[in-house]
Amino acid sequence: MDKLIIGRYIPGNSMIHRLDPRSKLLAMFAFVFIIFLANDAVGYGILTVFTFLGVALSRIKLSYFLKGLRPMLGLILFTVIFQMLFTTGGEVLFQIWFLKITTYSLQNAFYIFMRFVLIIFMSTLLTLTTPPLTLADGIETGLAPLKKIKVPVHEIGLMLSISLRFIPTLMDDTTMIMNAQKSRGMDFGEGNLVQKVKSVIPILIPLFVSSFRRADDLAIAMESRGYQGGEGRSKYRVLKWQRFDTLLLLSLVIVAAILVAWNMLK
Amino acid sequence: MAISFDKVTYTYQPNTPFKSRALFDIDLDVADGSFTALVGHTGSGKSTLLQHLNALLLPTSGTVTVDETVIKPTSKGKEIKPVRQKVGVVFQFPETQLFDETVLKDVAFGPQNFGVSKEDAQAIAREKLNLVGISDELFERSPFELSGGQMRRVAIAGILAMNPSVLVLDEPTAGLDPKARIDMMRLFETIHASGVTTILVTHLMDDVADYADTMYVLEKGRIVKSGKPQDLFQDVAFMTAHQLGVPKATRFALLLRERGQYFEHLPITRAALVEMIKEAANHG
Repeated sequence: MDKLIIGRYIPGNSMIHRLDPRSKLLAMFAFVFIIFLANDAVGYGILTVFTFLGVALSRIKLSYFLKGLRPMLGLILFTVIFQMLFTTGGEVLFQIWFLKITTYSLQNAFYIFMRFVLIIFMSTLLTLTTPPLTLADGIETGLAPLKKIKVPVHEIGLMLSISLRFIPTLMDDTTMIMNAQKSRGMDFGEGNLVQKVKSVIPILIPLFVSSFRRADDLAIAMESRGYQGGEGRSKYRVLKWQRFDTLLLLSLVIVAAILVAWNMLK
Repeated sequence: MAISFDKVTYTYQPNTPFKSRALFDIDLDVADGSFTALVGHTGSGKSTLLQHLNALLLPTSGTVTVDETVIKPTSKGKEIKPVRQKVGVVFQFPETQLFDETVLKDVAFGPQNFGVSKEDAQAIAREKLNLVGISDELFERSPFELSGGQMRRVAIAGILAMNPSVLVLDEPTAGLDPKARIDMMRLFETIHASGVTTILVTHLMDDVADYADTMYVLEKGRIVKSGKPQDLFQDVAFMTAHQLGVPKATRFALLLRERGQYFEHLPITRAALVEMIKEAANHG
């Protein structure tokens, strides 16, 4: 689990770090849609430059982003190869039986690859530069309009921030329990499928038990500190929208406009 | 069974932005049959070192030798497994590792993993449960129905059931009431007396003074001092400077010394202190 970079946060004080989480979330969301506007080399070129600008501004080493890509590599290659083999049309370059690689399929595969890489880079950028709790705050305030249609926004936000806060604790618990069972002679990932599934039990049960206990303790601790739900609460961490946040969204609009214009000009 | 560390270093998550070095050039020797204490401030690397004792972590460089098995940075699972049985580790709050339907099955889990038949494993489990003071009527209960103190005893029995020749204890008395603490330490003393090499990780200096014969002081991933507790606790200034302190008896003797009472050595246990005060009184 140590190798997972996505979802981690690296403290820093770059321009990207100081952005409001709401603008970052919104930008990330918009970026996923914008990426579908690109349908040729120029379009992907513009988006790549935009992404790398973000990476450069975050002042985090590129190698961490590449590492974040690694766990997804299998999925990406799987999709890319399928695209390559099953896209029809264009000039046939190579053929075995009914599988053929054409100019079209190569192009398509490349675009799919770029889409994956850019989205993963952007989401890694989001999590590497935003502390999880701030992210939860951003989601909570971002969802605030949904209160009108009776979505329990505060509760969702609370659950989100509690779960985010307990992820590392639970990971520690898991490692601890795994270590304890390993030193009692448990082997993980060995034997046939049934044995492998069985070997999960000595970890899962203690983990659930400790989570229940922790949930009880936390609920009692919260109540005794006067927590009564979302009504009438004030906020300690106040999010502040700054000029750079507007600039970020503006730059996304510009990128989208350029892409649309380029598509129409062609 | 002897354990020795030769220039062991360990780095967590190497080559990532989260890397941190936890151990630096550790040289450590645990003699056969000894009662060794590892002490150090929080974050001094005690727990990391402990995980090397039964190869849960492999050294980044250097070697750990357990009996005849040499654990190298490149060691594989199969070479390591015998070490796991020889070195039993009681982790901090071991009650969190209980999972099986009944107390008996849970204790028998360890030996069964090392190839002992179900019947034999349960026989061993009964014996060890009695040893830690769990009575027969609790054997068929779910471990989650027990009290905190009983759960810890069951967990410890689960380790003892593997018949380890080295017992590693990571703050075994954390969170226990005073009586349970004394009972538990006495239990470990009995087990040690039966010939089991014991390694105790703690920050309770009284326990170190009462039970250990060798101690190592860790700070920021390095061993800064080692020797017999009697000798190490003489240097009160050093122990205080490293935020460890000295046993209560030593502190009391120190106060007496400040008021003019002469001691050749500072006593480290209560019994020794009483003895010295008596002697001083006899000599007037």
